[in-house]
Amino acid sequence: MRARGLFILVIAAAAGFGMPHLLPGYLVNIVTEALIFGLFAMSLDLMIGYTRLESFGHAAAYGLGAYASALLLLSFDIPMLIVIPMAAIITGVVAMPIAWVCTRSTGISFAMLTLAFAQLFYASVYQFKDFSGGSDGIAGIARRAGPFGIDFFQSKIGYFYLVLIILILAFLFCRSLVASPFGQVLAGIRENEVKTRTLGYNTRAYRMATVVLAYAFGGLAGALYAPLAGFASPELFFWRLSGMVLIMVIIGGRGTLVGPILGGAVFLFLEHELSALPMVRELWPLIFGSIFIAVILFAPQGLWGLFLSWRDKRRIAVVSKSQTDAPHAAS
Amino acid sequence: MDFLGFILTQCLNALSQASVLLFLACGLTLIFGIMRIINFAHGAIFMLGAYVGHTVAVLTGQFWLALIAAPLVVAGVGALFEMFLLSRLYARRDGGAYLMITFGLAIVLSEAVRLIWGAQPKGIDLPEVLTGIVFLLDQPFPVYRLFLIGLGVSASIALWQFLERTRTGLLIRAVSQNPEMVHALGTDIRIVRTGVFALGCGLAAFGGILATPLFGAYLAMGNNVVVDAFVIVIIGGMGSFLGSVIGSIMVGFVQVFGAYYFPSLALSLLYLLMLTVLIVRPGGLLGKEE
Repeated sequence: MRARGLFILVIAAAAGFGMPHLLPGYLVNIVTEALIFGLFAMSLDLMIGYTRLESFGHAAAYGLGAYASALLLLSFDIPMLIVIPMAAIITGVVAMPIAWVCTRSTGISFAMLTLAFAQLFYASVYQFKDFSGGSDGIAGIARRAGPFGIDFFQSKIGYFYLVLIILILAFLFCRSLVASPFGQVLAGIRENEVKTRTLGYNTRAYRMATVVLAYAFGGLAGALYAPLAGFASPELFFWRLSGMVLIMVIIGGRGTLVGPILGGAVFLFLEHELSALPMVRELWPLIFGSIFIAVILFAPQGLWGLFLSWRDKRRIAVVSKSQTDAPHAAS
Repeated sequence: MDFLGFILTQCLNALSQASVLLFLACGLTLIFGIMRIINFAHGAIFMLGAYVGHTVAVLTGQFWLALIAAPLVVAGVGALFEMFLLSRLYARRDGGAYLMITFGLAIVLSEAVRLIWGAQPKGIDLPEVLTGIVFLLDQPFPVYRLFLIGLGVSASIALWQFLERTRTGLLIRAVSQNPEMVHALGTDIRIVRTGVFALGCGLAAFGGILATPLFGAYLAMGNNVVVDAFVIVIIGGMGSFLGSVIGSIMVGFVQVFGAYYFPSLALSLLYLLMLTVLIVRPGGLLGKEE
C-alpha cells in the first residue's frame, strides 16, 4: 500500500512537472499561485488538523513571510533562493513569542489571540510607513538570480518548478513529521490534552513547537508569494485571508495534509477562472459561502476525508467479500 | 475653559462611540455566554440591520419605525439560522465548527446584502428633533450623539435589570451556568438558545441602524466593526455582561483619544490594549479562565 502511495506521488509529481509545458502561458502564474496557497493551507493544517489549535490569524504567517522576503530582496543583494528560506526562518523566529503568549490559552481564546496578533501586524504595516510602504504596500520585488549563477528559477516556468519542488519537499517533511513520535504526541493533544499531559508530556511545549512550525511553513508560502506577485500589501495580514485559508483547510479535509493542499489550490484556481465569467463573478462568494456551510454541516471531515473514508469502506467490503468467497472456492 | 470644553466634547464623543459598540458587544457576549459560540457573523448582522433600517426608513419615511422594525426583522433571520443550521452542530461539541459556520454565514449575508442593495453607500434622514447642535461650554456638539449616549445608558440598565431581575433573565443566567441541569429541571433550552441568539442579533442590528446616521450604511461596515466588538468582549471577559459594558467604554475612549493624541498609533492601540489585558488576565477583566 505504501508503494502505491509513492507511485501516486510520482505520477502526480510527473504531471506537475509536465504542466507548465501543456498550459497556455497566462495560466502558469495562476497555477503557481494556487500551489503556494496549497502550501499555506497545509501549514495551517498542522495546527488545526493535527493539534486542534484553531488559529484565526494565520494570515500573520503569510504576511510576515511575504514582507520579509520583499524587504530582503529590495534592501540587500542576496539571491532569491537564499532569501526564501531566510524569510521562512524569520517568520518562525517571530512566531516564538507569539506562540508563547497564544498557548497560554486554548480553544476560543487561542483563536482570538492569534487573530489579535495578525491584526496587530496589519495595523503596524500602516503605522511604519517608511519601512513597509503603508497602504501602498511594497512593489517592484525582483527575483534575483544566483547563487553560483543559477538563473533558471527567474523565468515564469522556472518559478513554477521552484514552487512545486518546495511544496513537494514541505509535504514530505510534514507527512513524516505527523507520522513520527512527535506527531503522535500532537495527536494525543488533539484527542485529550489532559491525558497526554498526565502521561508526562509537556503539552504546552509541543503546542508552542507546532505554532512555530506552522508559522514557518506559512511564512515559506508568503515568501514564495511576494516574488511571484512582485508585490506585498497589508491585505496579506487581514483577518479575511485568515478566514479564507481556514475555510480551505476545512473544505479540503483537516488532518489529511493532502486535503488542504488540494482545497487551497483548487479554490484559488477556481476563483481566478470563474472571475472571468461575469455571471459567476457576481455570485461566486455566495456560492462558495454556501458550499462551505454545507461541508461543515454534512461532511465535517472535509472532501478529502470523505474520499478517504469511502475508499476504506470499499476496501473493507472487498476484503470481507474475498473472505466469504474463500470457503466456496475451497469446496 | 476652551480646553475643558474640548475634553468634555471628546469624552462625549467617546461615550457615543461606546454606545454603538455596546449594542454589538452585548449581543456577542450574550450569545457567547449561553451557547459558547463566537458569532463571526455579528458584523454582517450589524450591516444587515443598517440596510434593512435604511429600506424601512425610505419606504415609510419614519426613522423611529426603522429603529424598531430593523432589529425585529434581523432577529427573525438570526432565529431561523439558529433553528435550521446552528442547532445541528450542538451534538458535535466542537467549538471550531461554530466559529466556521458563522464565518460562512458572514460571507453569505454580506454577499446577499451586496446583491440586494448594491455597492453604493446608503444614507438615512434623521427626524428633526435629532438633527440639531447644542453648545456645551461653548463647544458645538451634535444632538444625535447625545441621543446615542442616552440610549446606550438606558439600554445597559434595561438589559442589566432584565438579566438580574426577571424570570427570563434568571433562566438565561442558569442556562449559561449549567444547560444540562436546566434542561433536566424541565425547561426546553432549545427555545432559550434560539431566543438568545435572536436577541443578540437584534441588538447588533439596533447598533447597525444607530451607526447609519453617523457613517452611512456601506458594505465594509461590518468587517470594520466586528473586530472591535471581539476586542471589547475579550477585554471584558467573554460572557460577562458588565465586562462588555466596561470594555465598550474603554475601547470608545481609546479610539477617540488615541486618534487625537497618537494618530500614528491609533490602529495598533486597540490590539495592544487587548494583548496587555490578556497577558495579565487570560480570561479578560471580569471573565473566568476556561
